[in-house]
Parts: sequence; C-alpha cells; structure tokens
Amino acid sequence: MMGALFYLQFTSARNRFVMRLKRLRQPKYLIGGIVGGLYFYFYFFRYLFVAPPRGPANPASWFTLENQWLIESGAGLLLCLIVMLSWILPNKRAALTFTEAEIAFLFPAPVPRRTLIQFKLLRSQWAILFTVLIFTLISRRAGGNALVHALGWWLVLSVLNLHFLGVSFLRTLLLDRGITSWPRRVGLLALAGLVTGAVGLWLGRHFPALHPAAGLEQWLEQLRLLLTQGPVSWVIYPFRLLVRPYLASDLTGFLASAWPAFLILLAHYVFVIRADVAFEEASVEASRKLAERVAAVRAGRGEGGGAAKARRAPFNLAPRGSPVVGLFWKNLIGAGGMFNQRLLLLLAILCVGAFMAMSNSAGSGGFVVLSGLFALMLLAWSILLGPQVFAQDLRQDLKMADLLKMYPLRGWEVVLGELLAPAVILTCLQWLLIPLAFGGLLGMDRGAGLDPGMIGGLALALAMIVPALNLLSFAIPNSAVLLLPAWFQTDRTTPHGLEATGQRILLLFGQMLMLVIALLPAGLVFTVALVALKWAVGWLVAAPVAGILAAAVIALEVGLALMLMGRWFEKLDVSEEAGA
Amino acid sequence: MIEVEGLTKLYGEFVAVNELSFTVRPGEALGLVGPNGAGKTTTLRCLTGIIPPAQGRIRLCEQDLVQSPLAAKRHLAFFPDEPRLFDYLTVWQHLVFTARVYQVADFEPAAEQLLGELELAGKRHALPGELSRGMKQKLAIACGLLHSPRVLYFDEPLTGLDPYGIRRMKDSILRRVREGAAVVISSHLLHLVEEICTHVLILKEGRKVADGTMDDIKRRFLHSAERNNLEEVFFRATSEVEGNSAP
Repeated sequence: MMGALFYLQFTSARNRFVMRLKRLRQPKYLIGGIVGGLYFYFYFFRYLFVAPPRGPANPASWFTLENQWLIESGAGLLLCLIVMLSWILPNKRAALTFTEAEIAFLFPAPVPRRTLIQFKLLRSQWAILFTVLIFTLISRRAGGNALVHALGWWLVLSVLNLHFLGVSFLRTLLLDRGITSWPRRVGLLALAGLVTGAVGLWLGRHFPALHPAAGLEQWLEQLRLLLTQGPVSWVIYPFRLLVRPYLASDLTGFLASAWPAFLILLAHYVFVIRADVAFEEASVEASRKLAERVAAVRAGRGEGGGAAKARRAPFNLAPRGSPVVGLFWKNLIGAGGMFNQRLLLLLAILCVGAFMAMSNSAGSGGFVVLSGLFALMLLAWSILLGPQVFAQDLRQDLKMADLLKMYPLRGWEVVLGELLAPAVILTCLQWLLIPLAFGGLLGMDRGAGLDPGMIGGLALALAMIVPALNLLSFAIPNSAVLLLPAWFQTDRTTPHGLEATGQRILLLFGQMLMLVIALLPAGLVFTVALVALKWAVGWLVAAPVAGILAAAVIALEVGLALMLMGRWFEKLDVSEEAGA
Repeated sequence: MIEVEGLTKLYGEFVAVNELSFTVRPGEALGLVGPNGAGKTTTLRCLTGIIPPAQGRIRLCEQDLVQSPLAAKRHLAFFPDEPRLFDYLTVWQHLVFTARVYQVADFEPAAEQLLGELELAGKRHALPGELSRGMKQKLAIACGLLHSPRVLYFDEPLTGLDPYGIRRMKDSILRRVREGAAVVISSHLLHLVEEICTHVLILKEGRKVADGTMDDIKRRFLHSAERNNLEEVFFRATSEVEGNSAP
C-alpha cells in the first residue's frame, strides 16, 4: 500500500517539476525564472558553501564554544515554550490535513489508518525539507557548517512536527473521555505554575539578588547559572538535547551528539504511528477549510484565514449617479470596510491634536523630531510602496474582468472606478501623515536651515500633489495588469517559486522606473515655479502654487493614462488570457 | 431582439465560431446546443461583449454591440454556468451595486421582490462564501434581472439547482419569454431545451449544423414518430456532419 502512496508522492512532485520546466519555454516565465534565480543566488545561495564576508556586523561565527551554552539553552527554552503552547492553546480534535483529492481517493479506499498517517508524515517531509533549505540559507550567514545546520534543522523540525501531531492525538483521546479543553488547560497551567513556583523558590535560595546597575557580564553569568543548573536546566534538558546537534562544528560532532535527539524522534514516531485515533472526520473538515484558504489566496483575497465577515458599506450608494462611484464604493468595501468616514474623522482629530502638540513644542527637538522623522519615513514609504500594499483595484478584480466587461460602462470608467479606492485610501493616510511629518520638522533647530514658512509651504504642496500622484502610482501597476494579464493570474495556474519571484522583481523595478519617468515633467514644473515664485511671495505661498501646477501636470498624465488603459480594457480578451 | 450576422471568433488560427448567423425575436427562446467544444460558450461570450468577435455583426434591441456597446449592454443579462460574484459584497450590496451600474432608479421594491421570489430574503446580509452553490446562482440571477433586461443569455442555467430551484428557474425563463424577452439558452440538457425553447440552433466545431423552430428541425431530421425528440435530432444532426450514422 505504501508503494502506491510513494508513487503518488513521487509522480506528483515529478509532474509538478516537469510542468514548471515546460513553462519556462514561455518568455514571461523564462525571464522571471532568470531574474528570480539571480536574486536567490545573490541573496542566499552564494553563501551556502562560501562563507559570507566578515565585518563588525558579520562576525566569523556566532557558534563559538563560549556562546554554545547560551544558544543551546535559549533555543531549548524557546522550544519548551512552543511545545507548552501546543499543549495549551489548540482545542480541536486531531485532523491530518489532506488535499480534497487525497480524501476522495484515499479515505474510501482500503487503506489502514496507520498507512494514512505514514503517508501524511512522508508528505510533510516536503515542507520540512523546504523549510530546512530556507533556514539553512539564512542561518548559514551567521557562520557554522552548512550540512550540520541542515541536519540540525531537519531534526528539530521533524520532532516538532511529530510532537504537534502526537499532542493532537492525545487531545482527541482526552476529548473522547469527556475531558474538554478548559479542564485540560487549567490542569496544564496549574502544572506550569507549580514548576514556575519551584524555580522561583530555588532562585530565591541559590541566587543572590543582583543590583540593577550590575554589569552585563554579571547578568550573563547569572543567566548562565539559571539555564544550566537547577530546575530550569532539568525542564529544558530534553530540548537542549534536540538543539545540541545543530551546534556541532562538524559532521563527526553532529553524529556524536545526535543520538539522543534521534531517540526522541523515534519515540515520537512510534507513539504517533501506534496511536489509534480517529482523525478522518476532522480531517475532512480541515481539508475543506484548507481548500477554501488556498482558493482565497489564489483569488487574491489575502491569506484567507478565518471566515470572511460582511463589511459595512462606507457610505450609502444611490442608484443614480456615475457608475464610477459604484466601483469605488465596491472596492472600498473590498478594502475591509474599515476606511469609513468615522475612522477617518477619528484619525484626523488625532493627527491634528498631535500636530498642535508638535507645533507648540517647536524647537524642543528630541521626541518631537524623532516622531516627525518617523512620519516622514512612513510618508516616503507610502509613496513608493503604497501601490504594492493597497491592491483593491484591477489586480484584485482581474478574475472578474468578464463581469466588468459586461457592464454598460466605458473602459476608462471601469479603470478609474478601480483605481479610485486604493488611491483615496492612500491619500487619506498621507494627508494624516503630512502634518505629523512636517510638524516634527518644526521641532528642528533653525540652524538646520528649515524655517516654518518653508516647512508649511512644502507640506501644503505635498498635500496637493499626493492625490494625483497616487492615481498615477496606481495606474502604473494596473497598466501592467492590462498589458500583461497573464502575469497577474490568480487561478490554479498561478506561478510559484523562482519564476514568480523574478516576475515580481521585474514588475516592481519596471513600475519604479515608469513612476520616475512620469514624474520628471511634474518635477520640472514644480522646480521652475518654486524658484520663480519664492523670491516674490515666499515659501508659504510659492510652494503650494508650484504644487498645484505639478499636480495639474500629473493629473493630465493620469487622464491620458486612463484613456489609454480604457482602450486596453475594452480590447482585453479574457478568454485568450485564461489560457495564457 | 438579437440579430447575429456572420459571427466569427478566432483563437490564433483556431476557428472557435465560424460565420454564425441567427435571429431571436422578442418572445422567442433559442436553445443553443452542441457537443463539447462546439463553440456555445464562446458564442455567448461574444454576444455579451465579454470577448470581441473577429468578424460579424451583433445587434441587440437595434443597437450594435461593437459600435454602441453601452446602449446594447443596457438591455442584456448573462447568467454563466458558474455564478460570478464579488466575494466581499453581501447579497444586498450586490443588488445596490448592480442598481448603480445599470442606473436602476427606485430599485428597492424590485430588489425585494426578486429576493422574495428567489428565496434570498433571509440571506440579504450573507456573503457569497456563506451561500450554497444554488443560492449563489440565485443571487446572480437576481442581479441580472434587476434592470429588467430584454435580452437574456443562460449558460447551463440548471447547474447546481435543487428540484424546486429547477422548476422555478424554468418557470422564470418561460415567464420572461412570455413577457417579450429574447432568450438564448446554452445547455447539454436537451430535455430542458425541448421543454422551454421555441427554437433550436445546433452547433458543431464552431459551425451551425441546423436551426429553426422545434417542429421544423424535428421534421427535417426525424422521419417517423418513433423517438420523436430533440435528443434524436441532436444525434442525427451532429452525426450527419461527420458522415456517420446516428448512434
């Protein structure tokens, strides 16, 4: 029977790999694959077998003998906490998550329960091995032996995987005997409380209280004694055994220190395999939810965790009026319904209050300046990356393009309606950040060359520019959606892996480049107007006027883009793209 | 009124629909039938403006769908086999949104009536994810009927409906036909087509094999009273093209 299941695993993996290889014949995947491959190589893989360059921020290795007790005990403590939480928090019956196809084929088939568990464990190894690869690539940067790290990660992750499964089986057995979640939790918390109390007593007897002003070395020594002696060390001992092989300097050291961890692994495996716990019914439900989550992610609805909830409409939509507003209304609901008038009013009051407080403490520096700089950083980030974060536009609605094309709307109306919601949300957030950012700058000394007139003028100018700027920023990725819809497919054929990463990198750079080019005329107009006017009327008037002129230039570009995108939308042949 | 002349749709060099012409008058229901891959869904998607035809003319209620798409689209409703709904809009929000898109003034009484008829009144605050397949289908129908379209296209309209839903759907289609709507139904359920449609158009490999009223088409392909039904017509019509005898 296991042979058939091995066959299923092997052929599925092979076919997936072959499909992805074949897909590379299409230039869009090949280019994406090359760029994604280069990214992964330069960021991760080149350090797999070659040590990263050394420097003050990148020491030779963190895995020195002096650090070993700290890493081993700290990781042991962390694992102990994770395991404890796995005993306390979950409340559901054991559910091995299978795909819907696996349930349809395997559950009605004459496959013993034990074989199903083995199959599940076998399949979970794919995820574990992938995680091991990623973790090793990351931890390799901190030094150490890559092979030992990989084996160490595999041991830890495999034991954790088996442990979680075993705990879920035990939980089910307790539930079958009428012991529900809360009595179990109370019992476990009482036990944890007893252990903590014992540790506290032991500490009180054996550790003299350190003065708060004691040096780092004294505190570290105290910590070392706490973690390596007495009750804490006993509690975390099994977890330290699990971590120890990871810290070995070479393969010989790993093998010498790994046998207790392998015994722990074996004990877990035997328990899980021999436990005769009915998991089928809960598995069917878990698989259904998993399928829904996957569908939600593929449909661009975020992680899809938990049941979706109905969202309040941001405002009442009258049946008459521009349909563009209808699309705007729809996408505001899609954005989460949180961006309603009440929330914006509340945020506005908070920001005005903060701005007043900042203005009153102008010149006082310190916290005010730091807050302002932080807000300024957020503002810059929102301008550059906002369009990647807020995607309640055609990127979300591409899968509904056939429905949108059926509506009696012009192409540009659909595009404008789709762009409005994220652009308005981002603009509102930026309008709230602008007074905070520039209010903070008022806190700087005048010696920095910033006078209130200039700061106020630039703040007003930016406030006038951002609505058009955001529309333009969102128009760029949405143009890419209309020109390269296959890159934005969110159905079952959505590409993953290197090629998808490469495509995202290319799109991001392309969008940035387009934005810079599109902003050149507006930047020129702003600079010329500002230089010409500031001598006559000062910064406070010149900057906003220049801002209005720059916004007009950007608005003109947005108008042209909408016309063009509208035509592309009208010509978009969704049936051709579906097969792309 | 639906007038189609020389409709052709190409995918690269593949001809999905080839020189198709037909007319559906007010008060008529045309059954669009054919084997898998015959071009039924492609035809419907061209007739709705979802995909552009390569050649040909489509007129809906005297409006050219390519030249005056907005005016033509105001008259039509398309009900695909898989209901197309926005995941984050509730049942009622779907109707509010549809009313705005189609500019249906005073839509609320009509929306309430549709919700009642389609047994969705108790689900007005539910999201599509909370509805069964049949309920989603009903919501798509409610949205499609809200603006009282005069041209209706159905693609496998009975998929996912329970026996009650099936009967109501059939009654609803027949009522719209009696009220003067022009209806096109694409389906593999030949008994449904025979029961509801006044006319039939049989497609095979993108080409029209036969069309006419139900009686005309039976007279053409059936020569005895034996097995006098559309299923027999379908097999004879589609087999004649291949030069084979009927199965």
